[in-house]
Amino acid sequence: MSHPRRFGPGRLVSGALVLLIAALVVLAAAGVVRAAGDSGQAAAASKRGGTITVLSAGDVDHIDPGAAYYQFTYEITYATQRPLLAYKPSSIKPSLDLAAAMPKYSNGGRTVTVTIRRGVRFSPPVNREVTSSDVKYAIERGFATSVANSYASAYFGVIVGAPASGTRSVPNISGIRTPNRYTLVFHLKRPSGVFTYALAQPLTAPVPEGYARKFDSETLSTYGTHQVATGPYMIKANASGSINGVGYKPGQLIQLVRNPNWKASTSWRPAYADQVLFKEGFQDPTVQARTILSGGADVNGDTPPPAAELQSIVSNPSQKTQLVFTPAGGSRYVALNTSKPPFDKLLVRRAVAYVLDRNAMRLTRGGEIDGRIATHFIDPSFGTYGFTQAGGLTFNPFPSAGSAGNVAKAKALMRQAGYANGMYSGPQITMVADSTPPGSNTAQVVANGVAKIGFNVKTISVTHSSMYTRFCNVPKNEPNVCPNVGWLPDFHDAQAILDVTFNGKQILPVNNSNWPQLDNAKINAEIAHAEKILDPAARAKAWGEVDKQVTQTAAAVPWLWENWPSLYSKRVTHASERWNGGAPDVTFMAVAPS
Amino acid sequence: MATRPATDPPVPRVAPARDGGPPLTAPGALAAAASSSLLRYVLRRILWGAFILLIVTALTFVIFYAFPSADPAALRAGRSATPQLIAEIRQSLGLDKPLYVQYWRFLKGLVLHFDLGYSYQNQTSVRSELFARLPATISLTAGAFVVWMLVAIPVGIVSAVRRRSLVDRAVMGGALVAISAPVYWLGLLALFLFSNDIGVVPLLPGAGSYTPFTVDPWRWFTSLLLPWFVLAAAFAAFYARMVRGNVLEVLGEDYIRTARAKGLPERDVVFRHALRSALTPIVTIAGLDIGILLGGAILTETVFNIPGVGRYAYDSIVNADLPAIQGTVLFGAVFIVTANIVVDVLYAFLDPRVRY
Amino acid sequence: MALLEIEDLRVRFDTRDGVVKAVDGVSLTLDRGRTLGIVGESGSGKSVTALTVMGLTRLPNATVEGRVLLDGVDLLRLPGDDLRRIRGKRVAIVFQDPLSSLHPLYRVGKQIVEAIQAHEDISERAARARALEALREVGIPSPEDRLASYPHELSGGMRQRVMIAMALVLDPEILIADEPTTALDVTVQAQVLELIAELQREHGTAVVLITHDLGVIAETADEVDVMYAGRIVERGSLRSVLDGPEHPYTWGLLQSLPGATRGRRLHPIAGSPPSLIAVPAGCPFHPRCPYAFSPCSEVVPPLVESEPGHANACHLPAATKREIGLGLRTGRAAA
Repeated sequence: MSHPRRFGPGRLVSGALVLLIAALVVLAAAGVVRAAGDSGQAAAASKRGGTITVLSAGDVDHIDPGAAYYQFTYEITYATQRPLLAYKPSSIKPSLDLAAAMPKYSNGGRTVTVTIRRGVRFSPPVNREVTSSDVKYAIERGFATSVANSYASAYFGVIVGAPASGTRSVPNISGIRTPNRYTLVFHLKRPSGVFTYALAQPLTAPVPEGYARKFDSETLSTYGTHQVATGPYMIKANASGSINGVGYKPGQLIQLVRNPNWKASTSWRPAYADQVLFKEGFQDPTVQARTILSGGADVNGDTPPPAAELQSIVSNPSQKTQLVFTPAGGSRYVALNTSKPPFDKLLVRRAVAYVLDRNAMRLTRGGEIDGRIATHFIDPSFGTYGFTQAGGLTFNPFPSAGSAGNVAKAKALMRQAGYANGMYSGPQITMVADSTPPGSNTAQVVANGVAKIGFNVKTISVTHSSMYTRFCNVPKNEPNVCPNVGWLPDFHDAQAILDVTFNGKQILPVNNSNWPQLDNAKINAEIAHAEKILDPAARAKAWGEVDKQVTQTAAAVPWLWENWPSLYSKRVTHASERWNGGAPDVTFMAVAPS
Repeated sequence: MATRPATDPPVPRVAPARDGGPPLTAPGALAAAASSSLLRYVLRRILWGAFILLIVTALTFVIFYAFPSADPAALRAGRSATPQLIAEIRQSLGLDKPLYVQYWRFLKGLVLHFDLGYSYQNQTSVRSELFARLPATISLTAGAFVVWMLVAIPVGIVSAVRRRSLVDRAVMGGALVAISAPVYWLGLLALFLFSNDIGVVPLLPGAGSYTPFTVDPWRWFTSLLLPWFVLAAAFAAFYARMVRGNVLEVLGEDYIRTARAKGLPERDVVFRHALRSALTPIVTIAGLDIGILLGGAILTETVFNIPGVGRYAYDSIVNADLPAIQGTVLFGAVFIVTANIVVDVLYAFLDPRVRY
Repeated sequence: MALLEIEDLRVRFDTRDGVVKAVDGVSLTLDRGRTLGIVGESGSGKSVTALTVMGLTRLPNATVEGRVLLDGVDLLRLPGDDLRRIRGKRVAIVFQDPLSSLHPLYRVGKQIVEAIQAHEDISERAARARALEALREVGIPSPEDRLASYPHELSGGMRQRVMIAMALVLDPEILIADEPTTALDVTVQAQVLELIAELQREHGTAVVLITHDLGVIAETADEVDVMYAGRIVERGSLRSVLDGPEHPYTWGLLQSLPGATRGRRLHPIAGSPPSLIAVPAGCPFHPRCPYAFSPCSEVVPPLVESEPGHANACHLPAATKREIGLGLRTGRAAA
């Protein structure tokens, strides 16, 4: 399953911030990066209508758009909600959605002014026009523990008056002002280079306070099951606005129908289909894939087709065109716990980086079809925004033939580290791994690999979520190796890949994402420096440098730049979200006229 | 699916009467005495059952916290949340309170308001979610029950009557295979063979096609056919062997000899005399199996994507959703306890020798 | 012509341990309205003989030879359906243990009605009326209530009465009673035997009384056949056998009877019944016979009449046998 979106808190940016924002605007207008295989869609009237079916194994993480933070959930959230900014499928830079114009920075970057469109209305039963105070309330409610938005502090904590910790009731954030019905002014504690990206998060999608307050005052907010929409679709609801049992059957079905109050003229979303069904609970990936191939459904929502199916589809000329690969944007890696022996030693870590058979690890996820073997952390889809600067495909500090690992070199390093005959001679090391394939298989390959240099590994197998919340995210409980980790950026800025994951200042006692617990003074300083840079070229160069240095510490061993396979049925047009790791954008998918 | 010996009826307690004298037990008096002692028996069992449910809920709590499942507060807070937020959520959900306090609150809610709490995952009421999913599980269980009985009884009888013949050996051998085949594998096989979207022979609706009876009765029926047969397979095999064994045993009884000696046609001997005795323990075991299945046939529901109680149980465990876990465990326990009581009472009606 | 004639009946069962010769050349006759007592230990073949007459030994591992003529018709050669029509209607049987021989889950009345409706096409009501009448006839008090009873609700004696009623309800020509009193209390035994005798008098039924206990047939039988190891070893009228027994086995049976030797000590027969798979050569009784001499272990003694209507199968000289047999009556112990 795909990782949720991840992002670290923005950092201080000084001075020529406006330059950065201007650059972003240019880039957005130019629409620089294009998705592979995505043909331009003419919004033909003949394409309207029909029902699109999306299959998934699991449910959304939160049906409440103010708490959603998961690739699969975004497929629904962005179809039903209008944050200030949003992404077109083929773009990695945000476009205008609810905002009428790109945010204007002033006062040295400490003041951000956003105007919103007129004439955007909430779906029934609220029906009225959206105003700026609805956006203010939407952001504020993210700080209440009843909603518990995960990234509220990270992205919006920089706003003046934002609470330092969660609040029992929805707080009033003084730094968000609404001088009139269509204008928002944010006062920031300090300039933030990534605030524009923050405005593209679902938390900024408007929520009507009068309607929502009573739901948000419960211990666990029930606004999610009573939500209203501003996007082209809404989750089907009954007359009083409740979706539970109507358009939302947890674990079973989410049914999107047209939002009667949405006006196509205010949005670049075509919204061809009349209805979108998210059918959940398809646990078996082969059944899912074959159902799509046979036309029983239209696209996979959260489960990649298994390797065997991928191979057979790719070798079948009539099916090949139904498969689209999108770079996920991040990397998978093996985290080595640097806070305790034996991986506190650089030489030992480098030995591990040499000995691991990355090719075999990639095979556990399907082989070549699954993506490129990663040699550092910034993903190829970043192009000249850090990937090239980090050495591109040629930077490989731990090379081996066929990426199968170099045991001789590994042993040599172990000898250098003080282990006679190149084999580890200390106590057993621990590893916490996924209990289900393919994670469990990958972990097995890792264990086999390190065994070649004498490591005796004790593996604890737990569910995916246990692995994170009980072990790898909690430094106190963390084992020596976390083999099944990875990181997807929330947006395409290299900071989103490297900051919270390798910055020593970002190590937390709970919910830690710096799994290696890397705390290298030089790297910390480099990161602090790179965060402040505004010039895109210099920024890319600095972050590329950080990537190289982190890779060389071998605190984590990257092994896969994953491609996300989207399998479409023959009758729908393709619309993979490049910004969301390849998930389908249902507002751009059309059912072919039959 | 558990295997267990046929339940023996309690020893009949009827004192022998003096011959020729007034009978000790006139039929009318017997019925009256039976119904009041039966009532007392049922009451006793219900009280005992409630006690068992208490233990079950307490054990669930202990297991959830003792074993390394995911941290619900951290899951709810999400991947980028600050430690403070996680701590606050833990507090607002009451997860920082000692175990016995949490358990007490749960009990209070359950007993006073029949409230099972709200899912950590999606804030829906656990109770309403369980009741919404119950019809699917009941449909699956009831249908499978009918199928496996309709198959097992004739097959078992034929096997018993034609003991050691080719038919008998073939059928019992096949039964062994059906019992050994894993349900999930059988389900996948059924889908890849017969489902009308991905099957080799498109015949029946495939995974995820379940619709409630009230929405579309025909589709409800056709979408359940494959799951019924897959779920029934192992049970049918097991029960066929049981029917065969019971019928064989009964056919050796003296009263069967009497039936033949009376000149009854063999058909009546088998169906009216032998079957009546042979099926009595089987009906009661079936009752117990139904009770267990109503707690959710997890594997069948998963492979066919039927939104029943079993799937809900699985999802809630994976998501470390304690209220939902408690709810499903309690549901399952209630069904099993009830099934046990019903089955024992039923036995009193099926076998007049049994007295409580 | 006799009502029932059995000619040289042999019944073998193939078992895992070997061939069991349950019945090894039995011939007997039964006349209308008469009572025949068959006496022997368990394993003597008496029950198998009765079951074979009823056609209840048609099993895959059984071999039946000989003839069983009912009014001249060989029952062994009858097709199954025809035999079924005779079973329960013309020949009825009452078994030893009425608790296990009645279906525990059906009411008694229903079981009798079923017996009637198996052979006659009459309504449920009419059948119930006849069942009621049958229960009354066997002396069951408040028979209307008893119809609705389950077997376990009745006492042992009443249950046996029910079995008898069920057997006689269709007025069969022959009633076979296989150990009818063995499972009952002593006080009840006499009542049941009396009932059988009385019913026989009223209906003119021929009765075959099978027992291991001489005392059972002492009051009621007309003729007696003594069986041992699947053969008849002595036969004759009741008085001739009881007053002048002519076979060492019969002597043993009489001596082991309490009260038969008036105050003397009981003398149970030494040894145990022979294996029917490996039947002793010659006379099957010879290993236990206190009078055995050289021919007994080699030659099978034929069943030979000593006087008209009284036969025995023993090598001893006739005079010896008569002397010993009469001696028993006068209290002189056997040699």
